[in-house]
Amino acid sequence: MAEDASLRQPEPGVEPILEAKGLSQGQIVRKRFLGHSGAIAGLVVFAIIFVMAFTSVGYWGIPGWWKYNHEEVSPLINDGVPTASLWPLAWGEHPFGQDRIGRDLFAMTMRGAQQSITVMVVIGAIAGLIGVVVGALSGYFRGWTEAILMRLTDVIIIIPALLLAAVMAQMAGRRDSGGWFSAFAASNGVLALGIFLGLITWVGLARLMRGEFLSLREREFVDAARISGASNARIIFKHILPNAVGVLIVNITLTMSAAILTETALSYLGVGVKAPDTSLGLLISQNQEAFATRPWLFWFPGLFIVLICLSINFIGDGLRDAFDPRQKKFNAKKAKDSGRHPLEAAPVTAFDSTKDN
Amino acid sequence: MVTYIVRRLITAALILLGASFMVYLLTAASGDPLEEFRASSAPNKQQLMDARSELLQLDTPAPIRYFNWLGGAAKCLIPFAGTCDLGKNIAGQPITDALGHALVQTLTLVTAATVLAILIGITLGIITALRQYSTLDYGVTFMAFLFFSLPIFWVAVLLKEYGAIGFNNFLRNPEIPLPAALAIGAILGALTAVTVGGEMKRRLLTGGIVFLFATAVLMYFSATEWFKNPGLGPVVIAIAGVGIAFAVTLLSAGLKNRKALQSALIAVGVGLVLYFVIQPLLNEATFLMIVLLAVAAVLVGVGIGYLMGGYDRGQSMRAAAITSFLVGGLILLDRFMQAWPAYFNNSRVRGRPIATIGANTPNIEGDFWILSLDSFTHLILPTIALILISLAGYTRFTRASMLEIMNMDYIRTARAKGLSERTVVMRHAFRNALIPIATIVAFDIGALIGGAVITETVFSVRGMGFLFLDGILHVDPNPVMGVFLCVAITAMGFNLIADLAYSALDPRVRVKA
Amino acid sequence: MRFGRISKAVGVAAAAALALSACAGNSGGTTPTTAAAASKAGGSATVVEVNAFNTFNPNTADGNTDINSKVSYATHSGFFYIDNKLNVVRNEKFGKMEKVSDDPLTVKYTINEGVKWSDGTPVTAADLVLQWAAFSGYYDDADSEAKTGTSYFSYAGDPTGIALTDFPELGEDGRSMTLKYSKPFADWEIAIGGPGIDIPAHVLAKKAGLADAKAFVDMLKGMPRGDAKAPQPANAQLQTMAEMWNTGFDSKTLPADPSLYLSNGPYIVKDVNQDQSLTMVKNKDYNWGPEANLDEITVRYIGSAPAQVQALKNGEADIIAPQASADTVEQLKALESQGVTVEVGNQLSYDHIDLNYSGVFAEKSVREAFMKSVPRKDIVDKIVKKLDPEAKPLDSQLFVPDQALYTESVKDNGSSAYQDVDIEGAKSLLNGATPEVRIMYNKDNPNRADMFALISESASKAGFKIVDGGLGKSDWGKALGDGSYDATIFGWINSGVGVSGVPQIFKSGNDSNFNGFSDPEADKLMDELIVTTDKGKQDELIKQIDQKIWASAYGLPLFQAVGVDAYSDRITGVKYMPNQTGVWWNFWEWAQK
Repeated sequence: MAEDASLRQPEPGVEPILEAKGLSQGQIVRKRFLGHSGAIAGLVVFAIIFVMAFTSVGYWGIPGWWKYNHEEVSPLINDGVPTASLWPLAWGEHPFGQDRIGRDLFAMTMRGAQQSITVMVVIGAIAGLIGVVVGALSGYFRGWTEAILMRLTDVIIIIPALLLAAVMAQMAGRRDSGGWFSAFAASNGVLALGIFLGLITWVGLARLMRGEFLSLREREFVDAARISGASNARIIFKHILPNAVGVLIVNITLTMSAAILTETALSYLGVGVKAPDTSLGLLISQNQEAFATRPWLFWFPGLFIVLICLSINFIGDGLRDAFDPRQKKFNAKKAKDSGRHPLEAAPVTAFDSTKDN
Repeated sequence: MVTYIVRRLITAALILLGASFMVYLLTAASGDPLEEFRASSAPNKQQLMDARSELLQLDTPAPIRYFNWLGGAAKCLIPFAGTCDLGKNIAGQPITDALGHALVQTLTLVTAATVLAILIGITLGIITALRQYSTLDYGVTFMAFLFFSLPIFWVAVLLKEYGAIGFNNFLRNPEIPLPAALAIGAILGALTAVTVGGEMKRRLLTGGIVFLFATAVLMYFSATEWFKNPGLGPVVIAIAGVGIAFAVTLLSAGLKNRKALQSALIAVGVGLVLYFVIQPLLNEATFLMIVLLAVAAVLVGVGIGYLMGGYDRGQSMRAAAITSFLVGGLILLDRFMQAWPAYFNNSRVRGRPIATIGANTPNIEGDFWILSLDSFTHLILPTIALILISLAGYTRFTRASMLEIMNMDYIRTARAKGLSERTVVMRHAFRNALIPIATIVAFDIGALIGGAVITETVFSVRGMGFLFLDGILHVDPNPVMGVFLCVAITAMGFNLIADLAYSALDPRVRVKA
Repeated sequence: MRFGRISKAVGVAAAAALALSACAGNSGGTTPTTAAAASKAGGSATVVEVNAFNTFNPNTADGNTDINSKVSYATHSGFFYIDNKLNVVRNEKFGKMEKVSDDPLTVKYTINEGVKWSDGTPVTAADLVLQWAAFSGYYDDADSEAKTGTSYFSYAGDPTGIALTDFPELGEDGRSMTLKYSKPFADWEIAIGGPGIDIPAHVLAKKAGLADAKAFVDMLKGMPRGDAKAPQPANAQLQTMAEMWNTGFDSKTLPADPSLYLSNGPYIVKDVNQDQSLTMVKNKDYNWGPEANLDEITVRYIGSAPAQVQALKNGEADIIAPQASADTVEQLKALESQGVTVEVGNQLSYDHIDLNYSGVFAEKSVREAFMKSVPRKDIVDKIVKKLDPEAKPLDSQLFVPDQALYTESVKDNGSSAYQDVDIEGAKSLLNGATPEVRIMYNKDNPNRADMFALISESASKAGFKIVDGGLGKSDWGKALGDGSYDATIFGWINSGVGVSGVPQIFKSGNDSNFNGFSDPEADKLMDELIVTTDKGKQDELIKQIDQKIWASAYGLPLFQAVGVDAYSDRITGVKYMPNQTGVWWNFWEWAQK
């Protein structure tokens, strides 16, 4: 269809399809992605934030270039008001200001961004991995495997995340008196939170991948592979998975941006990241009362949350368009049969959308 | 089909059992129920701790407590016996009562928000799909993601500051200075220019007209203190009604269908006449009466369409019915506006109508209109907040779905056989795009009663979310279990409905677990 | 100040109109927008509370949340109330409470004639007897170990004092009751009879199938004191009544039966909107106590502090007392230009660091060295100064600055030695040793975490090796007193009135004596304290105990928690109160401008 699509006259409201014959799928995707201005803008913004966050205050013991860290208390300058200014363009001592006991907000925001990005990546990796495996197994083998795995996802879907987070926070509070898990959670709060959220957010992805696999396994090319003697593993990984990768990537990016918001919500409710460590969510929930009095404590971390979420969403949007299934042969049937859709995971886990709590 | 449903129900029951056991144990393990007494210097500390331990049966191991609870909960299965026993919370209130109240609170809070978010989201999704990669598309995408990224407690604080406190301050002296009116007009004009599409000349023209019109209206509002004494009056209703008639006909039948357009216009005329006739009746309004009037309006519309006839009687009927329903809505709006000064000056409201907390003004008294306005002013902020954050999902989803459908072969066929773009979009694409959306909507409604924990906290509504959170904070499993049961049952029920609806809407989908 | 701010605001066109109209109300003119603003008596106010009302009996274990007590306080009257200087104020218009003899301690309560419930029934000695029976647990013979006997009234308060009495002697007129204590009891003044006689005996009697309150008193008269060792079969009627007392008044809505919310105080509940609001109106009959100004008080429930502030700003609330934080206080102060009055004051709870009398701190010199290295001024500066610019470190283990005796006691209790950080002094006491100190605290409480950081930094300078032993919010309480730490930072609540709490914390071997403080002389003083009925002597004893505690290097009180309340320009007469009654203590003085 890509071929005849390229010959088609553009219709009003429908973009002309640019790519020519002879490009591999990867090349097509890359080309389309690079042509998506929103996605590129998102990528640039995210890259800047990423580099800034991880180099400025250091990471895992590696020192950064910024003079303060997020725990250091220094004397209040100018009552904690941000020293950065646009005209004259100056950075100043505490560009984003200071909190009540004199910690540097720039350092805290950067540390928070690190943590939020960590949470996001961990969730993306874990949810992606489990989601793909469970979805693939249940969609490909069907039968008992499917029944058991899908009922397992049902159980996880209905157990409230907030409750699990509360239990986790309590275990982290026990420190070394509560066994290895508590010790780990106490010293790696953010990592533990990310793993935990990853362990419960994979269900959406699993359902989606199952849908994909259900329809793809009935396709001719799978039959062809099977007849030529390919093993199940080979069919799953070499034949079916590459065809589902577009849907997968899109949903992982959406899960990731929702993850930051989930972390924010949990921190607001007191069961997320705990002081003295910090995260963007914790910063704005700690400082929400400062909204009218010291707004910078609220605006800067908030700005970073919005920027990270927006850039990730736009990257995901670009990927979605780049992998747009409608320009591949299997589109129509797949979308119908699976009963699932690339964007089904869109309303995920933002804690307080009406859909979820 | 029946075996499928039965099998699903049985597994659902088993899942519910297993999950409820886990939730109970987790809640029991989520904290220290005696924390508040631990550091107490009260001489009878031990006595208080004993009392709490006894209340929560802390001496009994949690799994056994679960089965006790289950014994009570099982009685809920006997219909109409009234023996339902979900235990009591720490304050001694039976959970069944607490749930009943919380459910009402939550539903009033989230229903309007969810319905509006779905409607607006789907509309925006379709428009952005039809104008893919236009400024409008990017704009909507950006806004949707922006709102999606905002933490709700932040949105709530901002809304309260400007939407309630700021707006109420404005209402004391509702004068719009000229620069502000010009600025608002310019923004609206620019938005329209971006939205309408088409050639640059057409865009600029439309934008300019909207700019002038909006500015003039604002100046008029300011001069007449309209915000204190709002109203539409028959003239505005007539003008807006004609606009509605054209728009509805355009979407439902196409302007070429003269009979349909005439039916719609007649409906507007009838509505105007009725406007004067039913005013006395509306003074005695009740909720039921409004519903009956709405039904009557639709029937009148159907009747007009039927009488007008034409080559496609159905289209005329539909156009007239929708038009008369909307004109009825305008009349209702006008009546609410007439009640506004009375509400505004009510001694309980004291000229600050938009509320930041709660679901109604305590002790307010008044007729149907006053009380409805009171609910409206209390619900508007949380509703806006919830719409903003849940809009993104629906918009993106509809857009993707619509884009996919628009590239289907049958759409191309429809275009090829010469159908108008309106017919292609409204008849062929839109309906099919709705199929996957239906499942999402079903899921959302299922999850709806879980409440919105943070929204409830910041707007001080004690609904399901609050009950749940409070239970967790006090390490009191009973309220947690109560909320969990409600949410899990509806979620699974609607999950099943979604699957069934899917196969009903799309015959190609086989129902098979 | 207010006018200065306003003149600044004039420049801003929109704000000016607002500020001036707010100001008009202040300067005695009439505010044009509110018609009711002109009247002095009458009017209404909306008060914000955090928790939702759920029972008309605030004495039960399940019902004693602050809001229930406050509503009960406004709708009932008694022999006394407690003012914001923490004095017990007698209400002679309600009745007389007099100490007839010191040995044995005998107290006579007489209710004035004309005091009645809102259903017209007079308040009598029977109501007092009911309160006595419930508070004393006189008839309970339950043995929790053996699971025998009956426990009737589930009272949340402390029964130990009132349990020293026998069945009271009742006067002929039915309006007086005399209690005789077997041992002197220091807190007899606040043991019974106020601040409210809240549960009507005649209603309870009727519900239990008795003819009237008289029959109820007669029934009790015949019953012996409960004895856990020889449990008797439960008395069915008393049990029905106790059952009724325990749960019968629980309601989140206005009960259909008006006898469940009878009032004998300035207000009566008119409407309860579940989990949203509660409205009280004036009790027409009431004339036996301070007369209330407002016609109507509405209580609304708002949990989060920012939401409370915004509700005040938007005119939906008139009086708020949110959880104090630096930002909340600052935000409220910013509203002063709108006519809002903000009051900041101390609360009765205070944070302190306690040192265990075992482990590294078994040596007194080590304790002293540690105490010298605690940066109390710095902690106060960093944590409470933003809320209350006048905050100072707390210098007494037993008094709070709101109590008259605080200043005098502080002078010579030994606290002066620990005013400033003395690293050198600590070093010389340690003499080169580097003891390892594990400090336990609630690490989910940001203030405590900050205190730990500051203490740890300073103590390290003196040579202590500090180990962070902070635990999560659901675990730290359980760890108290288990010996797994050397020092702990947490908070006590000083009751402000009464002395029963003192031995609870400081007497050898008592429940809340977590660090193993034991001083035979202090013990003796405390034994004496709880049987001393004379206020002056009590104060003298407390002063001595305070000195003993300081002398033994117990640990350090750090600072008092800060509370805040704020009210709009519509309202006058609100006054700050440190204890849990909060602003409600003088609700009758509230008035609308």
